[in-house]
Amino acid sequence: MSSFKLRFGLRAKLLLLSSFLFIIPWFGYQYVWEMEKYLRYGQEQTLVGTARALATALHERPNLFNNQASFLPSVEQGKDLYGYQLKEAIQLDGLIHDWPTKEHSQHYYGNDNILFSKSNNLDGNLAASLNFTASLGKYDKYLYLFFKVNDNHTIFRGANARSITHNDHMQLSFINNRGQFRRFIVSNKQAGWLSAFELIPSEQANKDTLIPQPMIQGHWLLTPTGYNIEMRIPLKAVGDKIAFAFNDVDEENGEVLSQIGSANPQSASTLGTILVPSPEIERIVNGMRHTNSSIWVVDHHHRVLASAGSLKTASGFWQSSKISEQPLISSKYWQQFKNSVLLPLYYKILTKPPTDFIDKLYDAQHLTGDHIVSALSGHAKSQWRLTTDQQALVLSAAYPIFINNNVKGAVIVEETTNGIRTLRNQALEKLFTIILAIMLLGALTFVFFASRITSRIRQLSSQAEQAIDEHGRIKSDIAISKTNDEIGDLSRSFARAIKRLQQYNHYLENMSARLSHELRTPIAVVKTSLENLSLQQNQASENLYIERAQTGINTLNEILSNMSEATRLEQMLVNTEKSAVDIIKLIQGCCQGYQHIYPKHHIELVTDNSLPDDCTITGSAEHIVQLLDKVVGNAVEFSEDNKVTVTVSLKGKYIVMQIINNGIHLPEQMLTSLFDSMVSIRPNKKQTQPHLGLGLYIARLICQFHLGEIRADNNYQPDGVTITISLPIAKQ
Amino acid sequence: MSKRIAIVEDEAAIRENYADVLRSQGYQVQTYANRASATQAFNLRLPNLVILDIGLDDEYDGGFTLCQQLRNLSATLPIIFLTARDNDFDTVSGLRIGADDYLTKDISLPHLTARISALFRREDALKKPIDTDHILNTGDLTIDSQRMTITWQQKTIDLTVTEFWLVHALAKHPGHVKNRNQLMTDSKIYVDDSTITSHIKRIRKKFLSLDDNFDCIETVYGMGYRWNTH
Repeated sequence: MSSFKLRFGLRAKLLLLSSFLFIIPWFGYQYVWEMEKYLRYGQEQTLVGTARALATALHERPNLFNNQASFLPSVEQGKDLYGYQLKEAIQLDGLIHDWPTKEHSQHYYGNDNILFSKSNNLDGNLAASLNFTASLGKYDKYLYLFFKVNDNHTIFRGANARSITHNDHMQLSFINNRGQFRRFIVSNKQAGWLSAFELIPSEQANKDTLIPQPMIQGHWLLTPTGYNIEMRIPLKAVGDKIAFAFNDVDEENGEVLSQIGSANPQSASTLGTILVPSPEIERIVNGMRHTNSSIWVVDHHHRVLASAGSLKTASGFWQSSKISEQPLISSKYWQQFKNSVLLPLYYKILTKPPTDFIDKLYDAQHLTGDHIVSALSGHAKSQWRLTTDQQALVLSAAYPIFINNNVKGAVIVEETTNGIRTLRNQALEKLFTIILAIMLLGALTFVFFASRITSRIRQLSSQAEQAIDEHGRIKSDIAISKTNDEIGDLSRSFARAIKRLQQYNHYLENMSARLSHELRTPIAVVKTSLENLSLQQNQASENLYIERAQTGINTLNEILSNMSEATRLEQMLVNTEKSAVDIIKLIQGCCQGYQHIYPKHHIELVTDNSLPDDCTITGSAEHIVQLLDKVVGNAVEFSEDNKVTVTVSLKGKYIVMQIINNGIHLPEQMLTSLFDSMVSIRPNKKQTQPHLGLGLYIARLICQFHLGEIRADNNYQPDGVTITISLPIAKQ
Repeated sequence: MSKRIAIVEDEAAIRENYADVLRSQGYQVQTYANRASATQAFNLRLPNLVILDIGLDDEYDGGFTLCQQLRNLSATLPIIFLTARDNDFDTVSGLRIGADDYLTKDISLPHLTARISALFRREDALKKPIDTDHILNTGDLTIDSQRMTITWQQKTIDLTVTEFWLVHALAKHPGHVKNRNQLMTDSKIYVDDSTITSHIKRIRKKFLSLDDNFDCIETVYGMGYRWNTH
């Protein structure tokens, strides 16, 4: 049993089986993922629905789009302008720092935008000694413009010059809301506040009158590379067509060398368009703001007409419908435990949706993307994409706006999936907690169950072990288990087997007694017949045979008495009453007796000095004598130097007798079984006495009756055998 | 007038062997194979001595039953159990029921006949006047070996034949230790050690029932027994 092989016990097996419980969290996880997929699909539908609803609000309302340059078949960069929605107020100081510094929010005007030039470059193309970048923006009721002009010679208007065009000046023309064409010239005598003039056309050519125009406000700032102009125009004055141009003059009162601009500002027909986010559409869009989405409306040139909401707060419909916080266990400690132990553990697996992410996909003016292209060609489309910093997943839906069966724009609605992810995380948190609890409980139950079964089986096995001692004798019954299961059955069949074995053992033990009893009668028949024969016959020759037969019969008889002696002793011991026996006196008497019985041997009695005067044991004197007879008889028989030593000493609560003889050793494996029934280690020489090996068995029975022990050991130098008998002394 | 002996024994061979021996000794012998036939015969007329086996056919204790019936018919009829059962329990039971002797079947025929004649002798002797030649006196003990009676402090002790011979063997030489073998040969019994022990125990009990202070039979451990006179 005590092998060091790795045991794979029942408990381990059950635990292994219980590891299938780990499928449950996986399954739950899968389920939540599946749910998320459906939620996303739902979100997509909702989003498309929102886009459709908004588009519906904008369908067939041409007046919303009319004053935008939407009728253009195409827009030309630089000529068709777009007014950004500015986030903060602009200080008119000629400095660029309060403008958004987006690359694409500025447009560069150089040699490609020359409207007129007197000089050519090496290629023969027109060249200009001037270029500039322009930015447009809309804030509140004003359209803001910023020009960063690179000019090698900045020439102001002379202090007394009458002309305003023989210096560096800017021309600005637009068509106002009422469709009137208006032209302006900005021409400063010095850096600082702008001097703006309106050209009032007259009937006569070149006799246009100039009147100062305070509507155009701004600042002229000199820079190392030229100058900056920052200006604003009231929005209500500006229609949807505009052009601006810079005229370069390189010497005092010089001629205009070149003109660069967005479009020719000379006539209404040559103007470019301007698009500023439309307040009407914005109002409609703002009505949709509560949808937790970010909404854009673009015209068919992908230019933003209106926008509302921001992607950062647009985490979708699910954001608002958080799982109601009804904690399973509303204990403070549980919350603490959850926050300090469980959640960090969960978020090793889960990811929190980022609250901060950057999406630079769209500039504020111009939206791109397949979904928009698809919507502008008349098909609603939704798509998933990652933000440009890969932090959040964005769902966009685009829906076309029709006016007279033509697509005039599109509504784009965007949301992040953060709402769904938060929802998923909450669901998973809950799921994980429950699963942990279930697994813990399940594992504990399994362990308990396994331990229970194992302990029951162990108990059974130890009972089975204990029921039979090392000699194969049955010592005790197995307690019959009343449990009505397989282990109970096992226990009961064990008990039954043990009982049957006991009966069989009992039968075997009684065999000798019964055999002797059964054989007595036929032996008696033979014996009496022989005796009768010998009484009747007188012839010596026949008498010889009769005598031999009688010797045989007598030997048989003796065997039978020996056989039944042990059984009878067992029966007698049951009925024997114990009394106080003076053990020392008894041993002394016995040893004297043995000296008489075995005159050829020297029987020496050695009593220990530590022995008290009266040493009484509780028992039966006759049987102790019988025990000594057997042991001393054996010692005498095996003695080789005709000397047997009997020592008596007191060890603790036991009186210890040792009967020592010098002679052959006992075989090692026989030392323990020597005292079993029917064991004889006599050499197979011709024996004078029949021998069944019951002598020492009887000795052991008597020892057991006195609650003592008997042991055999080999001793060396000189070789011999010591039989040690310990008997408990009577309590005083 | 020869004595009539009845043998009740279910084993025919043994029955007839014993009967033959006893007949050759000059006794009249009637044999019975079972309790029923024996009872029938005994109700008509009692023999002078009965030899019983305990197990009769399928009656495990048939002999005991028969012995009780016989004791009810006669208090003095000598009854001998001759059986294969040699355990203590049966011996004690047999003697307690009122048998005069309990012998096992491994007894030799000469021993058996000696025990039988001893019983008859006692029966005859009881009818005779006391002859002092056979009387042995040691202390409070008086043994009449002819009538086979023992008295202790003038009270008769009722002993079986075996017990009588054991006491006789011990008291003949007071102070001498008799070992078991000597006791067996003296009292013409052939049993093993433990049976001797139980016989001695019973003898002590019988004396003690008359005299609480009886301690004349001393056990000498490892050697045997000794009769002490005070």
